[in-house]
Parts: sequence; C-alpha cells; structure tokens
Amino acid sequence: MFRYYFDLGLRSLRRNPVLTALMVLTLAVGVAASMATFTVLYVMSGDPIPHKSDRLFVPRLDNAPLAGYAEGDEPSDQMTYIDASNLLASGQGVRRTAVYGVGSGIDSGRPDLPPFQVQGVAPTRDFFEMFEVPFLHGGPWSASDEAARNDVIVLGRELSEKLFGSTSPVGKRIRMEGAEWQIAGVIDTWKPLPRYYRLINGNGGSFTGADEFFIPFQTAVSHEMGNSGNNNCSGEGPKEPGYQGWLKSECDWIQFWFEGKTASDQARLKEFLAAYVTDQKKLGRYPRPINVRLENVMEWMQHLGVVSKDAKLSTWLAFGFLLVCLVNTVGLLLAKFSARAGEVGVRRALGATKREIFHQYLTEAAVVGVVGGLLGLLLSFGGLWLISLQSEEMATVARMDWAMLALTLSLSIVASILAGLLPTWRACQVTPALQLKTQ
Amino acid sequence: MLRMHNLSKVYRTHMIETHALRGFDIHVAQGEFVAVTGPSGSGKTTFLNIAGLLEEFTGGDYVLDGVNVKGMDDNARSKLRNEKLGFIFQGFNLIPDLNLFDNVDVPLRYRGFNAAERKRRIDDALGRVGLSSRIKHYPAELSGGQQQRVAIARALAGGPKLLLADEPTGNLDSQMARGVMELLEEINEQGTTILMVTHDPELAARAQRNVHIIDGQVSDLMRETTASLAAVAATA
Repeated sequence: MFRYYFDLGLRSLRRNPVLTALMVLTLAVGVAASMATFTVLYVMSGDPIPHKSDRLFVPRLDNAPLAGYAEGDEPSDQMTYIDASNLLASGQGVRRTAVYGVGSGIDSGRPDLPPFQVQGVAPTRDFFEMFEVPFLHGGPWSASDEAARNDVIVLGRELSEKLFGSTSPVGKRIRMEGAEWQIAGVIDTWKPLPRYYRLINGNGGSFTGADEFFIPFQTAVSHEMGNSGNNNCSGEGPKEPGYQGWLKSECDWIQFWFEGKTASDQARLKEFLAAYVTDQKKLGRYPRPINVRLENVMEWMQHLGVVSKDAKLSTWLAFGFLLVCLVNTVGLLLAKFSARAGEVGVRRALGATKREIFHQYLTEAAVVGVVGGLLGLLLSFGGLWLISLQSEEMATVARMDWAMLALTLSLSIVASILAGLLPTWRACQVTPALQLKTQ
Repeated sequence: MLRMHNLSKVYRTHMIETHALRGFDIHVAQGEFVAVTGPSGSGKTTFLNIAGLLEEFTGGDYVLDGVNVKGMDDNARSKLRNEKLGFIFQGFNLIPDLNLFDNVDVPLRYRGFNAAERKRRIDDALGRVGLSSRIKHYPAELSGGQQQRVAIARALAGGPKLLLADEPTGNLDSQMARGVMELLEEINEQGTTILMVTHDPELAARAQRNVHIIDGQVSDLMRETTASLAAVAATA
C-alpha cells in the first residue's frame, strides 16, 4: 500500500498548487537554513582522523612560576625544548613527535626562479605515520638521518611541483639555511579538516593552509632555526643568551604528540607525565603543584575552541527557525487535510480503516517532505555559497558531503512527518456518515 | 441478509437527547430490493448509516449476512463494510483527482487484491455501467448520470452482498434518474440485495418492498409491492 499512498501523495501535490508551493517552500527554507549552518558546524567539529583520534594525545605541563598561581589554572598548550627532548627520549607511547614551525628561504638555483620564502614544520619521522600523511614520492627520512641530524627534507606537493615540476625530486638537493638538503620524499595533497595537528601557530588557521616542507626536529634545532609561532617565556625568560640559552629556558614553543596503542593508554601516559614532573621538580623545575593534562584529538580541539561559539549559536538559531517553519507547515497541512474531509469519509465508507487513513495522510505529508527536502538541498547549497563568501576559512568548511546530503533529505522528511501528525490525526477523526451526507 | 431487532440510536449533547431510532425492527432477505421512505428527519439516513456500519447504534441487535456487528471494533467494521457492502450516495462522492479507473479501484485497494485482479474487476464493473470507454476520464468530465454510474461501478467492483443507496437519483434529472434506476434494477435481478432510501414515491414504487419510517420507527413493514400486485391480480 505504501506505493499507492505515495502515488496519492504525489497527485495531491497538484490538487492545490498554491497551498502545496507554500508548504514546500516553508519546509525547504527551514531545512536549508538549518542544514547550511549545521554543515559548517559539522565540518568544524568533525573528527579528522576517526579511527585513531582517541589514541593520539597532546600532553600539557604547567611549568609556569609559582607567582600568580591560582588553582585550576590551565597548563600551557606548548612545551619547552627541555621537556620535548625528554619526552622524545622517554620511549613512552607507540610513537611520539615534537613539532615547531620553521620558515626559511629556498634558493632553487634556477635563474627563472629567484629565492623565495617557505613555511614548514620540524617534526620527528614518527609524525608521518602518526598522522597518516600520504606520500606522492619517496617517504619520510630514515631513522639514521634523524639520529645523525642530517639535512634531509620532505617537500609538500605544491613546493615540489614549483621546484621540479611533476617529476620525482627524491634524492635531489635544494639549498636552504646555507646548506644542501637532500629530498627524502614528497607528500601528496594532505588537508585534514580541521587541521588538528597544527592548531597552534599553523599558517592559515584551524581549517586552511598547508605546510610546504618538513625537516627533522633536531636538525632544525642544530641549524638554530627559530620558531615561527608563539613563544611564551613566563617568569624571567632565558637565563643565558642566544639560541642555546633559549633551548635551556622555560620558554614554551613546541607542540608535542604521543600515539598510544589504545585509547586506554591515555590514563597510563598521564601517570607517566605526573611522575616526570615529580622528577623534574627534584631538578628545581616545576614550582607549581603538579598539573598535567593529556588530551586526545577531539578533547584537544574542544580545548582550543576550534568550533566557534558563533557557529554553535547560528545553528541553534537556524533550528529554531526550522521549528517556526514546522509550526507553519502544521497549519498549512491542517488546512489542506481539512478540505479533504469528504474524501476521508468516502474512503472510510469504502472500507479504509482509521489506520489506513493515518498511513495515507502521513505518507502524503512525507511526500511534501521529499519535495521540500529536494528544494531545501538546492537552497542549502545557495546558503553555503553565501557563507563561503565570508572568508577563506568559511569557504573551506562550507562544503556538503554525502552524509549531509542524506541528512538534509531525512531531516525534511522527518520534519514533514512530525508536522503531519496532528493534521493526520484530525483527518482520522472524520465522521464518515456526516461527510458523505454533506458533500 | 440484514436483520435489526429493537435497535435504537440516541444522539446526546450535554443539553438534550435525540432518539433518532427506537425499537427499530427490520429484516431484509437476500436478493430483495427494498425502498426506505419517510419524511425528512424520520431517521432514514440514520438507519442507512447504521446499516452501512458508518455509525454505531445505541441499543438492540444488528446482524449483517449472519455476522452480529454489535461491539465490533473499527478494523472489523471496516473489513466487513469493504467485503459485504456497496454504497451509492446522492452526491456521487467520487474523488475528483482520480480518474474513473482509480475511483473504482479505491475499495479494491483496501481489499488487498493484486493488480491483475483489480484490473479485471474494474474493467468488469465499468463495463456493467457502460463506461468502459471513459476509463481515463476524470469525474468532472462526466455528466451527473455518468458520475452516478461510476459510483455504482465502484460499489459493484468488490462484489457486495448488499448495496446501500441514499437518494441515488436525488441530484439527477428525470431522464438520468430513470437510467440509474434501470441499472439498479438490473443489478438486483443479477442477485444483489438493494436497500434504497428515497423521497421519490415513483422510485419507491419500483422496489419490491417499501419500508416506511416515521419518528425513528418502521411504520409499515409488510407492504410488499409485488405481493400487493399479486393480490390485485387474483381479485380480478
């Protein structure tokens, strides 16, 4: 019977085109407003690495001076070189990496391509496997290159194509920081959304931008490459001058990631960090009470407020608007179904049960939902296009995927069925005898 | 086919009680063509609605084709209505946005017949009322008489045992009314029991038996037109 009811629903759309158009439009506008804002929220708050986001952890340690301490203070989002080096050497977790931003000039040696500035990061080789970075040519630098602090480099695809075209540059050398860097690999286009591995100091923010090159963490330090990003020197700052003094200081400028074997490693690693801080206290560091945090990817993004309050508020408002649209649709459906009390009477007289009338009219409401959903989809694309005009970041997140497409249609159908419940129930209460005589 | 005993129907509002039927007794045998007459407000339509299981009654008993309908729930009444009854209304009550085929199809859908069986029955029913050629037409494209024929086809398609007609010619001119009446007589001759409410004495006279209702009660149950005619013939 569902096909029969669906067919009747389609015919009914043509019965009163003005009323139908009003219902469909009301529903479509409500659905479009909700889905356009929800899509932005969905992309912003999406899990960028769902199969392992619960076992990638960011440690945070509170190494600030005692002065100004208040209970509940949040530890810094970055850490010192001393701590980064110690944690790298700790062997904790399956993999670990320290990351800091580096910028430099590249001399291609080509007369047609003058030296230019590039922005990259300095991680350990674990970085590539931890974050599942895809390679176009070659691969990460070797463990021996990392240990020997050799000048090796992995290029981003865009930089590689700029320097070498589409051919593989693996094994070739480029000139940077006054040294020759051997190319170990070229990564393919890699744009996780949000850009979780580089939420602090990333060029382009939480959703846009990409790193142009990758060099080993300790090699970058050997070259005394500065940090292109925040550098938080609480207290007195470096006690010794120069780069080496900075490395020995309590200045926070390095981001750190652990990869656990399972999600349950979070508690164990946190215990390790507390023990580590206790040990460091013995060396005269960490004057504050032990305050360590270890957040997985989603917790880390929540801590940094990747999803703006504006995006959340807009979504709530849009769903409020959808509710208003639904109330209107209820009214319109009531008008439509009330006008067909005679037909209900006829169908009841011809043998339809109340349940069959209920199914027929609810299916008819769902048909309005399907049409409203399709129009709502078109309007959603329009809404997302308007949102994308606001900024490059918005352009990145205002994109609908298949899940959102399906959700838009489903939302419209569910909304129309909800809106159809009262009118359908009313239609079922029709007294057939009365209707048949008055027709 | 239809038996009501001591049936009553009371409409209650918070102010007053209206007794539409009281102590109502009637028996309609298989194959009869019974005309129900009576002044406006006498209870004719209430009787027809109860007979058609469209309204519940307050007291008494009603047995339809051997089934006691007292206390039946909505599903059972709907099923019984669909299987045993056919309705013909004064206002035709066709569904305007369905063509003739789909209008006649409505009761068959609720019966659960497959597509082939439905088509066979629809073609047959529309053939019986002489509208096979207009199967794709919509009600608005037909005359009143033709619309009533479609309604009759719809009533016949399910193969009902009892046809309930409420002023079936009330909205038709005399020529169309005659055509519809002849069709009903033909259907009755083929074995379908017909119960027809009418104001028109001429139509009532063509039925086998007249039942007159006054103030919610049957006033003259036994006046059988054919019997009367036979008596007159015997006297002569």
